[in-house]
Amino acid sequence: MAQTASPEAAGLAAPMSEEDFISVIGAREHNLKDIDVVIPRNQLVVVTGISGSGKSSLAFDTIYAEGQRRYMETFSAYARQFIGEMERPDVEQITGLSPVISIEQKTTGRNPRSTVGTVTEVYDFLRLLFARVGEAYSYETGKKMVAWTEDQIREQIQADFNGRKVLVLAPLVRGRKGHYRELFEQMRKQGYTKMRIDGEMEDILAGMQLDRYKVHDIELVIDRLSVTADKSERLANSISTALRMGNDLIMIADHEDGSVQAFSRNLMDAESGLSYEEPSPNTFSFNSPYGYCPSCKGLGVVNKVDEDKVIPDRNKSINDGGIAPLGEVRDNATFKQLRAMSKKYKFTFSTPIKDIPEQALHALLYGTGAGASAANDGHYDPSFDLGKEGLIAMLERWHENSTSEKIRQWAEDYMTISTCAGM
Amino acid sequence: MRREALHFKVGDKNIADLAQMDMIALDEWANSIDSQLTERQLLIAKDILKEIRFRLEFLLQVGLDYLSLDRPARTLSGGEAQRIRLATQIGSQLTGITYILDEPSIGLHQRDNQRLIEALRELTDIGNTVLVVEHDRDIMIASDYLIDLGPGAGRFGGELVAHGKPADIIQSGQTITSAYLSRKKDILLPTKRREGNGLFLELYGATGNNLQNVDIRIPLGTFCCVTGVSGSGKSTLINETLYPILQQHLHNSLKPPMAYRAINGLDLVDKVIDIDQSPIGRTPRSNPATYTGVFTDIRNLFAELPEAKIRGYKPGRFSFNVKGGRCETCEGSGMRRIEMNFLPDVYVDCETCLGRRYNRETLEILYKGKSINDVLEMPVSEAAVFFEHIPKIFRKLKTLNEVGLGYITLGQQATTLSGGEAQRVKLAEELSRRDTGKTVYILDEPTTGLHFEDIQYLLKVLNKLVDKGNTVIVIEHNLDVIKVADYILDMGPEGGRRGGMLVTEGTPEQVAACKESHTGIHLAMELAASKKGG
Repeated sequence: MAQTASPEAAGLAAPMSEEDFISVIGAREHNLKDIDVVIPRNQLVVVTGISGSGKSSLAFDTIYAEGQRRYMETFSAYARQFIGEMERPDVEQITGLSPVISIEQKTTGRNPRSTVGTVTEVYDFLRLLFARVGEAYSYETGKKMVAWTEDQIREQIQADFNGRKVLVLAPLVRGRKGHYRELFEQMRKQGYTKMRIDGEMEDILAGMQLDRYKVHDIELVIDRLSVTADKSERLANSISTALRMGNDLIMIADHEDGSVQAFSRNLMDAESGLSYEEPSPNTFSFNSPYGYCPSCKGLGVVNKVDEDKVIPDRNKSINDGGIAPLGEVRDNATFKQLRAMSKKYKFTFSTPIKDIPEQALHALLYGTGAGASAANDGHYDPSFDLGKEGLIAMLERWHENSTSEKIRQWAEDYMTISTCAGM
Repeated sequence: MRREALHFKVGDKNIADLAQMDMIALDEWANSIDSQLTERQLLIAKDILKEIRFRLEFLLQVGLDYLSLDRPARTLSGGEAQRIRLATQIGSQLTGITYILDEPSIGLHQRDNQRLIEALRELTDIGNTVLVVEHDRDIMIASDYLIDLGPGAGRFGGELVAHGKPADIIQSGQTITSAYLSRKKDILLPTKRREGNGLFLELYGATGNNLQNVDIRIPLGTFCCVTGVSGSGKSTLINETLYPILQQHLHNSLKPPMAYRAINGLDLVDKVIDIDQSPIGRTPRSNPATYTGVFTDIRNLFAELPEAKIRGYKPGRFSFNVKGGRCETCEGSGMRRIEMNFLPDVYVDCETCLGRRYNRETLEILYKGKSINDVLEMPVSEAAVFFEHIPKIFRKLKTLNEVGLGYITLGQQATTLSGGEAQRVKLAEELSRRDTGKTVYILDEPTTGLHFEDIQYLLKVLNKLVDKGNTVIVIEHNLDVIKVADYILDMGPEGGRRGGMLVTEGTPEQVAACKESHTGIHLAMELAASKKGG
């Protein structure tokens, strides 16, 4: 066993100072035969040898393991009890070891949300880039969308309407049905006197209401003023109030010709009134509900139940296991429900599936929406109703919600993966 | 992506456009975007863009130019994932770290090796130590310091046989590694390339992933090598298209192959065996004997012995994993774990069975004077001789021996096997199945973790299969394997969108003559060096 820890002892030609090498003394992990190794620092060092000669034992099981262990030691004893004790590698001594990072070949994980972009963090920076300097375009008109600050809105109004009389409006209702009696009452109590309802100016009266079956646009009149330099402060105040009342949206109507211009603190398409939320890096993440496509949840693919996989052979009957997910006929709730349906739609379990009435098959696969298909034997579970939900919806629901990997896998067997059209 | 998110643009691209680009296109975009931004935007974006360019540069450097950002991480090969992590580490600019890498050259074409070495150099230049476990000739020669372990494997290894500057080691020429590096020893070129049996397996119009309507003809009865830079479509062609077609035809598999137009010659093949890179069991109760199934046969043999029959012992009696014959104190592991609370756990031999795994009664059953535990302790090479007269057992042990695993013991825990060993156990298991003479073997980078000497063994086994009339298709970057192939299919010319075509095909000499092929260029150098050395 080596007792001295000098590079010369390990057979290195030129003497080096302490800092210049990592020295491993008496490594005995696995098949290593009590060897001493000196590794020069800040250099590219290759460990080689035929398979099974102990390369990994030296590099990973000795040097890396010791580095990890030392790192763990820096935690408090309290923290360490949760991590578990690292095994001390079978080595006499390792000196000069700097922090160790191992870059292994293990695939970075089976998570479908992990991509090259997220692993390299390039995508995270792209998200940030888009959130900060991305320009928004309306998906309805294709026009560029702009977000305004209060000051910008004031300056723009002063430029566009200089010397003209304008109405400062706060939109409250846009294209919705209702009689809005409470809204009028509320605004009246707050001291507002005028509204612009469907483009017409009206006074707010007690007990006033609209036709509840018609679509309405309602704006609250915040101020009526002439845009002049001396009224700059009043305009600023009105804009601020209007933005508050109108949920970050403000409209300026020309008093004479009634033309309207809209500004928003959010990104908005002035033409269609379509508005986006202020983008954050999350908006561009396919892993966040703020960003991902609602139908595939950012995975780019959707699993859809494939009718041909559910019923692989239409010549088979239910008795022969013709409906694959249900398998063989058993005496359980599913088949009780199925039996009830067969009575209702007049087919039997031995009818080949191609001869089952179209309506019946449709009810079985896609459900009728109507409640229980009888079989109410006291064990009825409303969340498990074949006749109501339909087999396909049921498979999809299980696939999405089940906590059991097995059930999810089972449901997936009857699905095909297709590219989500959303992306 | 939500509709809204896709309507934000920087320059004229939305984020999904960018995510679909490969690294080269993305890098071009990142470098040209400045001119399309207003001054204010530029001010905000400056630092972000710097980070993006920075990272892209490293990704390009480690040879991953064909990947796109939206490529799911789980579809990456182990080597690719490792290089991504490497790129991330270089990007982090930490200093004073010891990096340990396991065979970073895996899955990397010779062309990209140089770039990898530069990337590693970058790490050392900023003040890190890089320790690489590697078998690649280029990387060994490019290193500052070489540590050579050996001389044999397993019980015959574990000693430091050489260390020092690569040039010095090559000169001393005392170890196997140095002999190969100096080409005193070399994997010799075959004297004659097989031409096959004149029959072909033909695949037409493959269009999966990036494949561009590829037609291939694989000569049956040859050792066929599929080459090409990373991402050129080798795996798509073989693992995703050809293999599932054969599987479907021969073994009624359900896995659908990628798109293709037609296939000819299916009736010339009656069996297909694929040996992929996934690891074998990771439980200490699994060992080479249980994995290859040879242990079942050995147990049956012991149960058939007269003494066992008298006592009524069934094969289960000889398993160390179920109650009956095993030592109950250590539950058949032969070791006992002593928990030390504040110190690491200590393993000691079981005090009841003294490390012999079985109870006294079971150990009394002897075959040729050896108990079941003695058999488990035997190295494969010894066991092969011991069971010479039991063909079923012998055949399996012989293949284990042939893939160069003669030194491991039958009972060695699967967890203590090295990566290369584990893969070869798997290989042996497949190879020991009776071949039909019309079998197609598909191997994806079988040289992973193999030293020159090991590759020698492996080639011997594979050649034996081909000599019996079988076809071996290997996806490989290792020139030592490529140069001895009978037939090469070279994919490329580049990776990703600029790949997916068959660049050239033919014997190694024919491929080496092709100037357009990256493989050809490196192969030509290797062939020249190999001829000179040999």
